[in-house]
Amino acid sequence: MNKAWRIARREFASNIIKPSFLFGAFGVPLIIIVIMVVVIALAAESQENLDRVGDVGYVDQSGVLADAAARPETFLAFQDAEAARAALEAQRIGAYFVLEPNYVQTGTVRLVSRTSAPDALKDEIDAFLIANLARDLDPEQVERLIDPIDESILTLDSGRQLSGAAFVGLFIVPFIFVFVFLLASQTTSGYLMSGVVEEKNSRIMEILVTTVTPFQLMFGKIIGLGALGLVQLIVWLAAGYLVTTLGQGTPVLAGVTIPPDLLAIGIVYFILGYFLMAGIMAGIGAVVGSEQESRQYAGLFTLPFSIPFFLIVSFFTDPDGPIVTFLCLFPFTSPVSVIMRSAFSAMPPELLALSMTILLITTLVVIWLSSRIFRWGLLLYGKRPSLGQIVRAVRRRSSSMATTAAAPVEAGGR
Amino acid sequence: MPSNTAIQVHHIAKSYGSFQAVRDLTFDVYAGEIFAMLGPNGAGKSTTIRMILDILKPDSGSIAVLGGALNDATKNRIGYLPEERGLYRGVPVVEVMTYLATLKGLSSAEARKRSLAYLEKLELSAFARKKVSDLSKGMQQKVQFAVTLLHDPALIIIDEPFSGLDPVNTLVIEDMIKAFRDQGGAVVMSTHQMYQVEYLADRLVMINKGEQALYGQVDEVRARYALPAVIVEGVGDWASVPGVERIEAEDGGRGTLMFLEAHTQPEQVLSALAGRPDIQLRRFELAVPRLNDIFIQVVEQGRNGTTA
Repeated sequence: MNKAWRIARREFASNIIKPSFLFGAFGVPLIIIVIMVVVIALAAESQENLDRVGDVGYVDQSGVLADAAARPETFLAFQDAEAARAALEAQRIGAYFVLEPNYVQTGTVRLVSRTSAPDALKDEIDAFLIANLARDLDPEQVERLIDPIDESILTLDSGRQLSGAAFVGLFIVPFIFVFVFLLASQTTSGYLMSGVVEEKNSRIMEILVTTVTPFQLMFGKIIGLGALGLVQLIVWLAAGYLVTTLGQGTPVLAGVTIPPDLLAIGIVYFILGYFLMAGIMAGIGAVVGSEQESRQYAGLFTLPFSIPFFLIVSFFTDPDGPIVTFLCLFPFTSPVSVIMRSAFSAMPPELLALSMTILLITTLVVIWLSSRIFRWGLLLYGKRPSLGQIVRAVRRRSSSMATTAAAPVEAGGR
Repeated sequence: MPSNTAIQVHHIAKSYGSFQAVRDLTFDVYAGEIFAMLGPNGAGKSTTIRMILDILKPDSGSIAVLGGALNDATKNRIGYLPEERGLYRGVPVVEVMTYLATLKGLSSAEARKRSLAYLEKLELSAFARKKVSDLSKGMQQKVQFAVTLLHDPALIIIDEPFSGLDPVNTLVIEDMIKAFRDQGGAVVMSTHQMYQVEYLADRLVMINKGEQALYGQVDEVRARYALPAVIVEGVGDWASVPGVERIEAEDGGRGTLMFLEAHTQPEQVLSALAGRPDIQLRRFELAVPRLNDIFIQVVEQGRNGTTA
C-alpha cells in the first residue's frame, strides 16, 4: 500500500495548486466572508450615523409625550418648532421631530434633519412613541405589543426546536454542507477522471500499470483526491464558523450555531458520498476515450446526487413522507437528502442506520465494480467498449484482464 | 531456473476472440545480455511483452520473471519503455522522473538525486525545471529512457528505443544500454531496426504469426542462413576462379558475390585468389546475410505456408 500512498500524495499535491480548486476552496468562501464583512460594516455605519446625528429634539403638540417616559438620553424636548429649528441651525441638535396636535388620529410625525435620517433613528423614535402611547400598560404587555411573536416551531416527531435564529442556522448549515458536498465531490472526482484520461492518452499508463496494481492506482487516487475534498470541506466549515461568529452582531445570524449532531452526520455522509461518486468517476475515466466524453458521463452520473435539492419543498412540508424517506434511503440521493432532512428534524435512528448501511454497501460495491472495470479499461485507447464488454469485464476472474479489450489496442497500435 | 535467467517464457498462447495473437511461444532471456525481439507488425511482440509485464495473462503456458510471478518487489526491479511514449506534460521534468522513481520504491530524496544525475548525463540539466511539454520529442524520449533506468532495475524491456532519435542521441542511448548489459542487467529490446540488432544484440527471437520463427545467438542465426558464397572486391576476372559457379554484383555494395560450387570451401577460394597475379584483392569476406534479408525471407516463407 506504500505505492498507493505515494500516488495519493501526488494526486493531492498536484491538484491542490490548481486554480480551479483554489478558487472553489478558498475564493468562494472568501467572497462570502467579504460580503459578510461589508454587511456588518454597513450595519455598524448606520449605528455610527446615529451617533453623528447627536442630540435629537422633539416638539410635542399632541400631548402624547407630556411627562415623557422611557426617553432616550439624546432626546431633548422643545417648546415649539421655531426653538427646535433654531437649535438645529445652531447645530446644537442633529435633527428634530414634531408631533402634530392630531398625531393620535393621523400618526403624522414631521422629522427635520440636517442630513438624511438613518433607519436606526426612526427605530429609536418608534420605540419612544410606543412606550409613551402604551404607558398605561405594564412593561411586559408593552414588550408583547412590540414583538408579539417569538416564533418557535416544534416538529412533531423528535422535538428538534426551530426557534428564531436557530431556524436560520439549521437552514444555512445543511445548505453549506450540500453545496460543499456537491462542489467538492464533483471537483475532485472530476480531477480523478480527467487525470485517468490524461494518463491513458499520454500513455504514461503503460508505465504505471507495470509499476503498481490497478487497485493501488485507483485507491491512491481516490484517497488523495478525497483528502483534497476534505480540505475544501474544512475550509468551508471554518468560513461558516467565521461568518456565524462575525455575524453574531447582526440580527440575521445572532444566536446561530451549528448543531454538533448535524455536523457529524454531514461529515459521515460527505465521506461516504464522496467515495461513491469517486468510485463511479474512476470507472468512467477508465473506459471513456476523451476528456470531453468523460464530462458528459460525469454529468449524467452526478445528476442523481443533486436531485434532492430540486425537491427541497418536500423536506419542508412532508419530511416523514414517502418521497423524502425514499430519497434518504436511495444511495445516490441519500448523502444530500439525509443532511437536509436532519437539519429540519432529527431522523429516526433506525432510518438513519438503514440509510447509512445502504450507502456504505453501495459504495463498497461500486468501488469493487469500478476497480474491475478500471483494471480492464486502463489500456483501452480511443475506443469506448460496449456495455456488454464492460459487463463481461466485471464478471471475469480478477486474474485475467483485458481479453477482449486488448485486441483493438493491438490492432490499433500498429 | 538458472540464477542468471531473467525471463522464462514457456509455451505461452494468447488469443483475442477468434484471433490467435500468440501461439506456443517459448524463450529465455538471461542476465547480462541484450535480447532482441523481432517480428513483422502484428506478429505478437507487444502482446508477448504485455504478458511478460503481467498486463495481460496468457491463455496457457507460464512466464517467470526474475525468479517467479511478478509481485510488488519484482515490479520494482523492472524498467519498461513502452513503444508509445508519454509523460505528464504540464509537470517539471525532474518532478515526473522523481515521482515515477518513487513508485519503483526509491525514497523521494534518492529519486531526486538520481534524476538530476541522469539529466546531467543526458546533458539535459538545463531542462530539469522545465515542463515536459517544453522539451523536444527526442529530449522527452531520453528522459523517458532515463526513467526506465533510474531505479537501478535488473531487467529492462524497451520497445523501439531508437525511434525518432537522431544519430548522436541514438549513440548515447546505445551506450547506456550496453553499459547496463555489461553491469549484468538483462535487456529485452523490441525493434524493427535490424542493423542495430546485428551489432547490439547478443541473442534474438523472431516471432512471426505468433510463433517462434528464429531463436538463438545473433551470429549463429546469421551463420545458419549463410549462403555458399563469398564477397570480393578488387580488380580481376572473378568468374575464372576455380570452384566458382557464378558471380553477381553485391547487393548494395561495391563488391562481387561469388557463388561457390558444392564442396568448395571459402579458404580454397582465398588461396586460389592469392596465387593469381592478375587479380588485385582488396576485400574478401563470407557472404553472411544481413538480418534484414533473413527477416524478409522468414516472413515470406511464413506467408507461403512453410516454416523457417
